[in-house]
Amino acid sequence: MDFFIRHLLSILIFFPTVSIFLLLPVNKKNEWLLRNLSTFLSLVEFIFSLYLFIYFRTNTYKFQFVEKFNWIPSFGATYFLGIDGVSLFLILLTTLLTFVSLLSSYRYIKTHVKEFVILMLLLETFMLGTFAALDVLLFYLFWEFMLIPMYFIIGMWGTGNRVYSAVKFVLYTLSGSLIMLFGLIYIFIMHYDQTGNFTFNILRLYNTHIPDGLQLILFIALFLGFAIKIPLFPFHTWLPDAHTEAPTAGSVILAGVLLKFGVYGFFRFAIPLLPRAAFALAPFVIILGVIGVLYGAFVSIVQKDLKRLVAFSSVSHMGFIIIGLFAMSAISVDGSIIQLINHGIATGALFLFVGMLYERMHSRQIKDFGGIAKKAPILTALFMISVLASVGLPGLNGFIGEFLILIGSFHSYPVLTIIASSGIIFAAVYLLWMFQRVMFQEVTNPAAENFEDMNLREIITVLPLIILMFLIGFYPMPFLERIDPTVLHFLSMINHHKTVYNIIKLKTGLSNA
Amino acid sequence: MHNMPLIYGINFLEKSMLSIIPETVIIIFAFMVLFLAFFEKFAKRKNSYYLSLIGIGFSILYVLMLSDRNIYGFYGSVVFNGFEVFLFIAILISGMFTVLMSKDYIENSGMPAPEYYSLILFALSAMMFLVSSNNLIMIFLSIEFMSICAYILTGYIKGDTRSTEAALKYFILGAFASAFLLLGAVFIYASTGHLNLYAIHYFLGNISYAGSNKANSGMGIKIYISAGLLLFLVGLAFKMSLFPFHSWTPDAYDGAPTPITSFMATGIKIAAFAIFLRIYSLIYNFNIMNFNDILWLLAVFSMTFGNIAALLSSNIKRLLAYSSIAQAGYIIVGIIGGGFYGYSGTLFYLLSYIFMTAGAFAVVVIFENSDIISLDIKRYSGIGYKYPFIAASMSFFLLSFAGIPVTSGFMGKFYVFSSAVKSGYNWLVVVALLNSAFAAFYYIKIIVKMYMPDKEAANQFLNSSGDNSGIIGGTIDDGLMLTIIICLILTLLMGVFPQIFINFANNSADSLWRI
Repeated sequence: MDFFIRHLLSILIFFPTVSIFLLLPVNKKNEWLLRNLSTFLSLVEFIFSLYLFIYFRTNTYKFQFVEKFNWIPSFGATYFLGIDGVSLFLILLTTLLTFVSLLSSYRYIKTHVKEFVILMLLLETFMLGTFAALDVLLFYLFWEFMLIPMYFIIGMWGTGNRVYSAVKFVLYTLSGSLIMLFGLIYIFIMHYDQTGNFTFNILRLYNTHIPDGLQLILFIALFLGFAIKIPLFPFHTWLPDAHTEAPTAGSVILAGVLLKFGVYGFFRFAIPLLPRAAFALAPFVIILGVIGVLYGAFVSIVQKDLKRLVAFSSVSHMGFIIIGLFAMSAISVDGSIIQLINHGIATGALFLFVGMLYERMHSRQIKDFGGIAKKAPILTALFMISVLASVGLPGLNGFIGEFLILIGSFHSYPVLTIIASSGIIFAAVYLLWMFQRVMFQEVTNPAAENFEDMNLREIITVLPLIILMFLIGFYPMPFLERIDPTVLHFLSMINHHKTVYNIIKLKTGLSNA
Repeated sequence: MHNMPLIYGINFLEKSMLSIIPETVIIIFAFMVLFLAFFEKFAKRKNSYYLSLIGIGFSILYVLMLSDRNIYGFYGSVVFNGFEVFLFIAILISGMFTVLMSKDYIENSGMPAPEYYSLILFALSAMMFLVSSNNLIMIFLSIEFMSICAYILTGYIKGDTRSTEAALKYFILGAFASAFLLLGAVFIYASTGHLNLYAIHYFLGNISYAGSNKANSGMGIKIYISAGLLLFLVGLAFKMSLFPFHSWTPDAYDGAPTPITSFMATGIKIAAFAIFLRIYSLIYNFNIMNFNDILWLLAVFSMTFGNIAALLSSNIKRLLAYSSIAQAGYIIVGIIGGGFYGYSGTLFYLLSYIFMTAGAFAVVVIFENSDIISLDIKRYSGIGYKYPFIAASMSFFLLSFAGIPVTSGFMGKFYVFSSAVKSGYNWLVVVALLNSAFAAFYYIKIIVKMYMPDKEAANQFLNSSGDNSGIIGGTIDDGLMLTIIICLILTLLMGVFPQIFINFANNSADSLWRI
């Protein structure tokens, strides 16, 4: 048991890869076994990951479950893993959503089941590795390879214009990552010039002294990599295509986990490494976030395709998260992190429901639906809860996150916060209007006459997400008490630079400008 | 260890012979392959195939036995030390892959086998001579030796117009390049009075030292020597297939028998880069007349041109040829980056480049042998489902070319680019990274074809070629399979646990300084 706890992160990361080897000898034709075995293995993985939650110490910001081995001494790269309050929940979210999306694909994925489950498990390994890595090279390795399984999932099991979407997704994110790689290499070399040691240890790289002008350039380099992943407003164009054409499982993972990497990257790398540039550029990033909130909301309102609507709502929600992170007050950053988890849960659930509707009606067009509520009461009720969670109804999880973000940001950016908060109203407009058109009204499509309600498997699929919505909505303490020390440490790490930055601003008279 | 005492009481001949033992072994086996073909009993294709493999194996054995030596043979014209150990092994591995790939290919095309294998062995020995040569004359001779073997091998498919045309093009352009190389050597000799690279190095060192004391001293020599170096660079850039001197590459790669294409892309390129690395570290490094700027331009143009041309080509061999031009650009980035870190990065990249290139070409050979899938990329539609293992390996090699992590291509690029950042060539690295992003597009295009075909296209091509059972399945050549598996393992290993390979490259780069 001791060994298990001490190497829990490695076990979590490589368990899915080991599971792949269990699945490899299974006959391609035996789809029943492939689906159930992979789902079972991902459930085991999720249960393992709960040990992280149980053994996590709450009142410290220090990294826990740390593992450190030599990896490439020539570059000073180490196999260095560890989690804090933020990565803890992102890891739990990843393992949960992988299980959920494997369970959700029983009906959706009809061809090449073996390849599908293998790619999903491979993807899980790399997602977990990215969240757990504290070594920049290790992080980058996991970060970039993640694209490949996702690319195959979209391209092989997607619908419509899937190949175009998959290639667009890869090229967009790859270009961003490569620019980011330049920034990371530059900081790595700078640290070498200053100390004479090659190291990729992020905790040591934090101490690199980087002149202000250079910080701006490097921040923009890192910014491109992370902003494309989030995606922030002008870089979002890959997202609707990828989301719309991906299979349900792909959309859930994409929205639930992959988008989080951008924010996580800002939190772990860009802001602490280049704090002064982050302060200088924060207003611009927040403006982009506000534009994203409004733009995403407006575009969602006019969507005719259900999945595209949910995809654009992601742009809007991720805008909020970025506002909260870059407002850099304790409350707003707390809210951002909570909202990261919420968005994964709520949007993941929405994609699951859209998937179920699509499986039954073979259409995603809103106009093809109507009057489903009479046929499928369970689906309607659960779908309603997810919609309301995404809207931000008090008592459900979305409210907590958005509320904290808005309160926390109001002090520093009152006008922008007020504008952004209108996004919540628009969210109510597009989501509830969509719900009304899909679920209520008269049955217009004859195909809806034989609409089946959810079966047991589908209820089990969404149940964990629904429970979490209520849990976070009513009693967020277990989450906040783990996130809070990490966030406070994050702020104390950069606040020193904030003071320095303010002095520079005063001296140069920028504050008057 | 038992022959250690022999080294101390060494005389000229013994020392000289010791320095060229690996090459000699290869040459002996090349003649054996050739002579055994006279006897009907041994003249089977298989015998020459196995004999060449044994020869390469012996040569590797000798390299490993001599790996801790530092030998100067033939009055310093031939050097054997850590640098050579690394590159000899790289070259021999690339030769081994070429031989492994050739068995069925030769059988199918009905070409005479013994001459083919012995030419490969001769070319190998020439490459090794080139890498270990330390004298301008020696460099010229070995380049010529190597090129003549390559010309013949390129045109080896008798009666095939494309192969003959490729050989002729390669030969004529190559002859020009050799002339430039020789002229460059003449200029260098005329201005310094030395043929030995070390002697030239010391001579230039003295000049730069004197130049810092007295203004204008040695200026005349500098003009001549930079003219010489420029001409010499042209000759070598031709072999390295850098941008303005690349025009033979796509035609020769396309026309040559595919195993030979792989040989040209790995062996010849590595030998050319290795000798350039040695000359660069000894002579160009003085940065006379800002030579680095010229290299900078060559690197940028090679990458950009190679990638754009690869994007436009629809033949897999041409695509890989253009991509190899782009890869040469990335390798030059490491040389420009320079210093211990840069040289060792370059060597690491060269080694990783062998495995991904040989692997990719082995896949091409498999499909070529089976006759169902031609070289047109369109024909690769849907093979991902039909031949899962081969297609997956091909994807892995392509991802390695694109520099996606977990593959050796990423580690190599990372190593090379970080050395350039270290030396302050930031813009070069930015251009190179943008190029890699751009290049990913055409590598992914092939993967798209393999796994995500348009329904009609896939049916048309795959069903027209007969029944649906694995056609290739039963008939895949062991050698090809072995090549793919070795390349796969090493590409993965160099991408995930590169430390031992880095140490190997470090040792090698280290001995560049041990003059």
